[in-house]
Amino acid sequence: MIITRKKDLKEIEEYIENFDKFFLIGCSECATLCGTGSEEAILNLKQWLENNNKKVTGWMIAKTGCQILGTKRELSQYRQDIEEAQCIMVLSCGAGTQSITELFEEKPVIPVNDTLFIGNMRRLREFEERCRACGECFLAITGVCVVTLCPKSMLNGPCGGYKDGKCEVNPLRKCAWIVAYEILKKRGLIEKFYENILGPKDWSKANSPRMFKEK
Amino acid sequence: MSNLKKKLINGDFVITVEITPPKGTEISQMVNKLQELKLLVDAVNFTDNPSGKMRMCSLAACKISLDLGFEPVLQMTCRDRNRIGIQSDLLGAHALGIRNLLVMTGDHPVMGDHKEAKPVYDIDSSILLKLVNNLNNGFDLNGNKLNGKTEFFYGAVVNPNAEPLIPQLKRFEQKLKMGAEFFQTQMIFETALLEKFMEHAGKFNTKVIAGIVIIRSKKMLHYLNSKVPGVSVPGWLIDKIEGLKDEDVEKFGVELAGKLILNIMEQKLCHGIHIMAFSKVEEVKNLLNFIKIKL
Ligand code: SF4
Ligand code: SF4
Repeated sequence: MIITRKKDLKEIEEYIENFDKFFLIGCSECATLCGTGSEEAILNLKQWLENNNKKVTGWMIAKTGCQILGTKRELSQYRQDIEEAQCIMVLSCGAGTQSITELFEEKPVIPVNDTLFIGNMRRLREFEERCRACGECFLAITGVCVVTLCPKSMLNGPCGGYKDGKCEVNPLRKCAWIVAYEILKKRGLIEKFYENILGPKDWSKANSPRMFKEK
Repeated sequence: MSNLKKKLINGDFVITVEITPPKGTEISQMVNKLQELKLLVDAVNFTDNPSGKMRMCSLAACKISLDLGFEPVLQMTCRDRNRIGIQSDLLGAHALGIRNLLVMTGDHPVMGDHKEAKPVYDIDSSILLKLVNNLNNGFDLNGNKLNGKTEFFYGAVVNPNAEPLIPQLKRFEQKLKMGAEFFQTQMIFETALLEKFMEHAGKFNTKVIAGIVIIRSKKMLHYLNSKVPGVSVPGWLIDKIEGLKDEDVEKFGVELAGKLILNIMEQKLCHGIHIMAFSKVEEVKNLLNFIKIKL
């Protein structure tokens, strides 16, 4: 899932100081799991705006905010409320926010959240980055994503900086390569892994902007 | 062939020292240090923005050293340049007459003085070794032909203190396979860990230069232990130094390093030492004097 975090309201204040009427859009997928695009998040924002003498003309939660056509369809019944609003605030990831930009180019669209990373939820609202969308997945070889979990994206084993199995960059975390080593060991793949050298990685597969269309 | 390579091949015990290029434009201090060290050691390593702290580039420092008639070792990390920049710098280094390389992945920027910097890490040190190997064979990393090959004598780093050790030993073997001709170790404080590592490394035909640090103060000891990646100061040494008066620590530090080196030499544990004195020439001199008197 895409992990998002609510922006500091001070930042939002600056974006909206010249507007009085707002339409709010959440997202029922990742942002809801993160608590940044759920009904609760929308109602909190609504309350805050109203406390600041602003008007909320309406709100809705898109099923999948990043699905442009579906979202457009869902929004059609709110046309009136959106027209009345001077500005749309989106409570999703950056992709969801840009669906709305594409649908209402003439209206200011403001992201309420910061988009952090692709990750997993370990406990409620506790997230860990797991994938950098590198475009060429090595998980079959390395077991865990060392591109993401190792701050140096080492592809061929640990650097010399780990101490007691902890990462030199963040000693609260295990070195990704010690984790990978343990997994490869359990799979009986250590010797095989170190026989070869992985890379140089083809980073051109991660050049932005990326497009993909299934034929 | 570089002098360092010649000596290592001959089986001579080599002594190298580390100098960090200046943070700024003033090179006179570095030049003075180089002039003093010239007669004492075999080569000088110039670090590449160590701990991610921005300084003058190793390449320029190496050239200054060459001009003074003193053999440099260029340290090259993967932190600040992608594969294009690295190869381009290495070709330039070769053209300027630099022949010794020590390659490593490099400390992460969060350890340094530009924590906000975007780390590069386009390749890791294993691929960097492959890259140098290619250059030496007249090809770039992608196998395109060069108009002339490089003649680098190139080494890699290894950390005998690493816990757990096996992944580190595997990396060592991998670096050997990529053609690393010598290894420089992370700083060691006692021979036991080096012995253990050499038991393994001895099975291969390679040269190992042990990293030795001169402890100057209690503060430095704690800094090394808590802030320097991959360094763990043994408990007995911390206790020992804690028990000393502040003014006695430096003398003890020189003696400790001296005894360690003598021990390594007597036992023929490895093929040389690399002194990490954080550019303090006086200490290196004291240390080398200490060894000479005892030898
Ligand atoms: S290897 Fe690439 S695609 Fe696979 S999990 Fe890691 S970053 Fe994602
Ligand atoms: S300690 Fe491990 S996880 Fe951390 S940078 Fe080094 S190899 Fe990567």
